[in-house]
Amino acid sequence: MKQIIRITVGLTVSCLIAALLMGSVFIVTDKAKKHNEHVNVQETMLGLLGYTKSHPAPPDLSLYTIYRYIITDGDTSTLGYVLPVRKEDGAGYRLMVMDLDGQFVNQYALDLMPDEASEPTGRANALKEVVKPPRTFVYADATILATLGQKRLAYLLPGEFPGFKTFIHVMLALDPSFEILGLEIMEHEEDPGLGAEIKQDYFKNQFKGKTFEKVKDLHVVKEPLPVEYKKYLETGRGKASPISEGELETIRNTYQDKDIYALTGATISSKAVTDGVKNMVAKFAYRINRLDSVISAQHIPVAF
Amino acid sequence: MPATTKTNFQLVSNGILNENPIFRLALSMCPAVGISTTVMNGIMLGIAVLFVQVFSSCTIAAIKNYIHPRIRIPTYTLTIATWVTVIDLVLAAYMPAAYKEMGIFVKLIVAFAIITMRLEIFACKNSVSSSFWDGIGMGLGFMFGMVALGFVRELLGMGTILGYDVLGVRPLLFFVLPAAGFFCVGIMMAMFNYMELVYNRKRRAKGI
Amino acid sequence: MNISGRNYLFSAILVIIGAFLIGGCATEHRFVKKTAFKDANQIIIEFAGPVDETWAGNPSNYTVYEEPDPDIKLNIQDIRLSADRKTVTLSFADPLNQNQPHILTANNISSEGKSLGTAILNVRKVYLGYLFSILIGAMIINNFVFTKYLGLCVFFGTSQKKSTAVGMGITFTIVIVVSAMMSWFLYQFVLQPYRLDFLQIVVFIGLVSLSVQAVDTILRKVNPLLFKAFGVYLVLVIANCIIIAVPLILADNSYNAFESLMLALGAGLGFLIALFLMSSVRERLELANVPPTYRGLPIAFVVAGLFALAFLGFSGMSIF
Repeated sequence: MKQIIRITVGLTVSCLIAALLMGSVFIVTDKAKKHNEHVNVQETMLGLLGYTKSHPAPPDLSLYTIYRYIITDGDTSTLGYVLPVRKEDGAGYRLMVMDLDGQFVNQYALDLMPDEASEPTGRANALKEVVKPPRTFVYADATILATLGQKRLAYLLPGEFPGFKTFIHVMLALDPSFEILGLEIMEHEEDPGLGAEIKQDYFKNQFKGKTFEKVKDLHVVKEPLPVEYKKYLETGRGKASPISEGELETIRNTYQDKDIYALTGATISSKAVTDGVKNMVAKFAYRINRLDSVISAQHIPVAF
Repeated sequence: MPATTKTNFQLVSNGILNENPIFRLALSMCPAVGISTTVMNGIMLGIAVLFVQVFSSCTIAAIKNYIHPRIRIPTYTLTIATWVTVIDLVLAAYMPAAYKEMGIFVKLIVAFAIITMRLEIFACKNSVSSSFWDGIGMGLGFMFGMVALGFVRELLGMGTILGYDVLGVRPLLFFVLPAAGFFCVGIMMAMFNYMELVYNRKRRAKGI
Repeated sequence: MNISGRNYLFSAILVIIGAFLIGGCATEHRFVKKTAFKDANQIIIEFAGPVDETWAGNPSNYTVYEEPDPDIKLNIQDIRLSADRKTVTLSFADPLNQNQPHILTANNISSEGKSLGTAILNVRKVYLGYLFSILIGAMIINNFVFTKYLGLCVFFGTSQKKSTAVGMGITFTIVIVVSAMMSWFLYQFVLQPYRLDFLQIVVFIGLVSLSVQAVDTILRKVNPLLFKAFGVYLVLVIANCIIIAVPLILADNSYNAFESLMLALGAGLGFLIALFLMSSVRERLELANVPPTYRGLPIAFVVAGLFALAFLGFSGMSIF
């Protein structure tokens, strides 16, 4: 009997010590993890816009994030956009609700600070005060608008879609006419050497420069990548270019409207990325047009 | 087995050569086959295993007198699981890119037979310092095995070493596939067997 | 298990399957019998009775969107009504993303002049099909031994003879199903809500040890014969990477209970298949003339490599 008590006590004590150790490590590393992630995302976004360490962003470049929620009330759903408000009008956030046909419904001021807004729980708390039960809300996605002074520079869309193995997370950059400025693969679990090659320049950069019309009809062809196109895709990022400017221009024009060349041994991954990008662009273009028309019609003082 | 009489250096070299976890003891082969696609992966996982092995060995050696014999295995499991969680959290926070490459394998360290076996065979009967060096030996042996495999597979499969293009061409994609992992481990094991055969033959020739 | 115990188990299984079938077939409106995807870009609706042609042929009576995107309505290109006026086929311009459930609203269904109200229907691929594809996926396409290279130590240790291989496989399947379900419960209801995700590893391995103990004790009491045959393998189960990998995967992918069950079953059965195949080959290898340095494990690894190559043929397959 005494033995069992000793064993139980011993085990409980060790469990508690272990839990304490793990808990403290978790608290310390969690902060570092979030910080590193944030820095990584910032760098990727600036990289997509063309700014690197050697060519830093100008001071009047600003990034604003719009969060989209789906608000359900019984059988009907409406869209809620959390929009950043400009400094002159308080620099907070507003929730703008519109119905599924793009008609404005209502707007509310949100009690939200910018640093809280990047945390899902912070936003949820602010929204709970405005979207009261029986209405519920669910997070849909986020869009980042980059502005240079007063002009819209680009849209940055983080997105995820199913790949060959599990999900692929990407960051897509579009210019105001929805032409693709660049694509970055943030996370994936594809096979190394096969599907993982979607991270390579010679695949990613094929999406650069595709116009909105072409993207709507983008397919994957299972042909080998032409050598000159590969050289063109891999120039950049400060590497010395083996091709002259004029040749770069001709290559760009030849391949501008061609489909995406699939990766060797990774057709499914290539298709997954192409289809994912297609869907992201189509849905985003549809939504941002509606959002812009409502914002201008209602004169909402947004920061972008 | 009574407490060891080997010197610290012998403990370490034992872990790398005589009792190499992957090639001789044939334990913890899952990552050897799966993650040894690049040298970098091998190094990272090797460091993780080294960390877990050393800390677990030292912890068990330090509290070996307080462990009731009937709850030996749960205690080992709890210790290993705790240290694996710690290294998992640390790697996820400070080296996210490398951590993603290794996927689920860092968490799976808890199921590696090598660590539990080492605790059972060595740490619960030896002092903290001997356990420390033995842990280092086993960890280094594991890392050596993974790096050797990773070297061959990365070079032949992708033409790079640690990401730097060495061959300039992509030779045999086959080596990046899991099947090649099996082949390479099998062949390397055979090589180790051969070296042992030759070594024993030489010793017998010398009349030892 | 005695007779009445077996009867209970049997009826329980029947009830579960029945719930599936009923749940899969019934729709949310009494007049609509069934909705389903057809080909790459069509949805068919089957009604319980004939519908009016004018109503059926009007595209504005239907709204279709993918569940997570209620604001993007899909364009209906063409509508066909069957001869008996009970089936409507909607064709769309672009191929549908059939992995995503679609919501179809049929406004004011008009049959024989009477209005039967509005039906909000959920169109999705057969759920059983999805579950089955997880099972086959874990069993063959993503076989845990040959494609995910997990569980190798035990694999090579127990694959020398067919009898040990089969014994290990069955024991393993039982333990993994039990421990995966327990892990799922704990993860859903304790770890996740309280943000204790980092305790995953400790909790899962604790549950595995618990399940092994539980299966050990139950088997000892309920069927001593079975225990004599399989009991020995129970200890080895803990050293198997797969047993930890399965709870970790279902935590990562947020599977629900049925999907977790399928994953665990698939993993166990896949392991059994792998063991069986391997042991069949190794028994023959015993009689072959293998070079001395390759005898034992090295040649076993090479054989496993050949199997892995063969299983590579399944990669990318998707049923349903």
